Amino acid sequence: MNLTEELQRRFGYTEFRPGQQEVIEHVLEGRDTIAVLPTGMGKSLCYQLPGYLMNGSVLIVSPLVSLMEDQVAQMRKNGEKRVVALNSFLSYSEREKVIRQLDHFKFIFVSPEMLSRRTVVDYFRKLQLALIVVDEAHCISQWGFDFRPDYLRLGDFLKIIDRPPILALTATADQKVMFDIPYYLQMRSPVVERQSLDRKNICYSVIRLKSSIEKMAWIKNRVSTTTGPGIIYTSSRKRSDELAKELQSIGVSCQSYHAGKEQDDRSIIQSQFYNGELDWICATNAFGMGIHIGNIRQVIHEHMPSTVADYSQEVGRAGRDGLPSVATLLYMQSDEQLTSFIIQTDIPKEEQVRYYNNLLIDGMAPEEAAKLAGLSETGKRVIDYYMERFEVVEIIEKLLSLAEEKNTELQTMLSLIVTTNCIRKNILSYFGEESNLKIPQCCSNCSLPEMEWLTVEKPSMNKHAIMTWDERITKLLG
Amino acid sequence: MNLSSILLFIISKMNGERTINASLHLLRGKKSGQTLQDVEYFAVKPFFGILPKLTDKEFQKAAEKLRISAFIVEEDNLIRLTAEGASEVNKQEDYHFRGWDYRGREVVFFKRLALAVQTVSNLREGTHSFLPIESDRDIQLFVKRLFYRKPITSPHFAKEIGDELKKALIGCGMSDKQKFIFTGRLTGKRDTAKTWDQLARELEEQLDSIRLQFIESLHMLLDEIHSLDEYPILRLISDDIKVQTYLTDSAIRTKKLFEEGHSLGSIAEIRQLKLSTIEDHLIEMAMNESSFPILRFVSIEQMKAVIAKANSLGTKRLKLLKVAFPSLTYFELRLIMAVNEKGVV
Repeated sequence: MNLTEELQRRFGYTEFRPGQQEVIEHVLEGRDTIAVLPTGMGKSLCYQLPGYLMNGSVLIVSPLVSLMEDQVAQMRKNGEKRVVALNSFLSYSEREKVIRQLDHFKFIFVSPEMLSRRTVVDYFRKLQLALIVVDEAHCISQWGFDFRPDYLRLGDFLKIIDRPPILALTATADQKVMFDIPYYLQMRSPVVERQSLDRKNICYSVIRLKSSIEKMAWIKNRVSTTTGPGIIYTSSRKRSDELAKELQSIGVSCQSYHAGKEQDDRSIIQSQFYNGELDWICATNAFGMGIHIGNIRQVIHEHMPSTVADYSQEVGRAGRDGLPSVATLLYMQSDEQLTSFIIQTDIPKEEQVRYYNNLLIDGMAPEEAAKLAGLSETGKRVIDYYMERFEVVEIIEKLLSLAEEKNTELQTMLSLIVTTNCIRKNILSYFGEESNLKIPQCCSNCSLPEMEWLTVEKPSMNKHAIMTWDERITKLLG
Repeated sequence: MNLSSILLFIISKMNGERTINASLHLLRGKKSGQTLQDVEYFAVKPFFGILPKLTDKEFQKAAEKLRISAFIVEEDNLIRLTAEGASEVNKQEDYHFRGWDYRGREVVFFKRLALAVQTVSNLREGTHSFLPIESDRDIQLFVKRLFYRKPITSPHFAKEIGDELKKALIGCGMSDKQKFIFTGRLTGKRDTAKTWDQLARELEEQLDSIRLQFIESLHMLLDEIHSLDEYPILRLISDDIKVQTYLTDSAIRTKKLFEEGHSLGSIAEIRQLKLSTIEDHLIEMAMNESSFPILRFVSIEQMKAVIAKANSLGTKRLKLLKVAFPSLTYFELRLIMAVNEKGVV
């Protein structure tokens, strides 16, 4: 079989992107495979093409419901009808309907928690599976917003079923992740296909400021003199809202985006951003995974991310179209404390674990107990997972070492900020890569040349003339 | 119109007989026995469930505003209007909500419409691939069925929908501002809808006010669509939106067992629910179904006596009635009041 011909016939591309063909070949040979590909390098093709060439369905485990919905929408948009998403957002009857017709679908996206339900597993056992894909596989070992204890449970599911090859996909892979993925997924001597994670079109810049007032002034000046579309990452929902308001008040076309907004508004904001009706988005880390916008020119961090992995993922949303883009991190000294504080409040303390455990023993409902014990959402998820397997004392130890790990991660992130060496090299070495390439627009430590493309004449405010209601209907429908 | 003004209106209806939380439950459309009864007692059906996701914080803020303006006061936890409050209510314009009939389903109607409009808006210009503004699979399937074998790529068809919509927006009597909000939430090929924030800024109004005007406009539009035969496409889009049975799903299940002859205790056991919940269901049935066999629970004489007392006391508070009729249970008193509101007695 000629893979390039299949690629041309089914997707209309004349050649593979780096790494794709190798991954597809391994998968077709039936090997377990770990593919480390930078964002925007066509990860989904790595399972779509083999899916068409193999008998049976492709099961894709995906960590975020929004991400899953986006991927499904994207595939439908490209004309594939035999695709479906199975997640806890479906109502009971919808889910039953989907489950009963599972064998009609070629591509089945599923959230990890669904795979810990026995009834669902029973259906999957009857199904002929060609391939199991674990998307964003780093979620197995990253604590934080992305962390899904349910991912750790995948091993249990994979043990029960008579399984086809597994393809684990990720765009970040430090040593820990590369150890955890095959371990938790119980992969059988997996092949690792790795592409450099270097994003040559992104230039990195760290700017040190003295106060949040200076930060605000810098951002205001930046967004009103340079090009969008851009994302400004902040530390909290509240901060995103505040910042968006400030920027709106000086006439910048900007909206905040986070998990606290209602679904319709989130769709609208995404669509406006996608269509170029909106220049800037102030977001928490909820904005990112699964957003397919190629032309993001800038990513600004108003706060300090807690790990290099998080940082490089967020930064990686810029410039997927391959054109020059800038990542700017604003830093002031107290940021370290703030981020450290956020991490610490997220990881449950000994007293909290004991208190939570006692409440459960007394028969209180888990949600209520978690509230009383002051556990974060992530904290509760993780403890619940650990409780199935370990004694309280062990859990406390694990959390302590986790807290230490997080602190080390934070220090690594900090060293990236304060270093006088090349930032790009630093990031790559974090992922175990070496690079000696000279890139003209590299980073603020490698003497950054003037970037003329970045500066724009801003058209004056009020892009849209206000339309009357019936003019609007006429515009939409004729 | 804003949350405070609507709250004031509701309080004027429940004047001195309920706590502030009764209004919160009403606005959220809580399906508990107490709230469902209140809806009847105080004739506040239009406001039932118009804000299903109203948060405590927003609600308390609106209530606080009324307290600060001295429109309401609290005595023994019961809220009543002051003289200023009463005159303020008199100044209010009429509301046109139909919460009892739509119960949050009006939003489903709008989601269908929004996706339908986005679809034809793209197709009429030959764009066959776009990211749907509604990700809900049910909505997507609905629109797909709606357009089955329709000339969806024809600009003429798109215009037909547009003309029908224009006519209905004018016909239903919503304000121009409401038309602006309504159409502002529609997405087309080039123009994406506006977020609530954006609309609030453009109109220089508060978010709650914009949201409420939007909900009211949907109720007005839906009524228009259902009362005239001139809106074939909109009629299809609004299929199944109006509440068919006024009983909750759970009450329907209880009703079935009740009609099979089970006692309340046995129904509670079968359904693994508290007896008080089953009683709530019976109250719902008594309120909504004219065939409810009230005489299996109380006699005509008892009913007449209770109603006469309620009228002479000028109250609907069960506590006071219970003092007057110690031999009747709260459940029996509630049944009588429920049937009375329906006007059967």
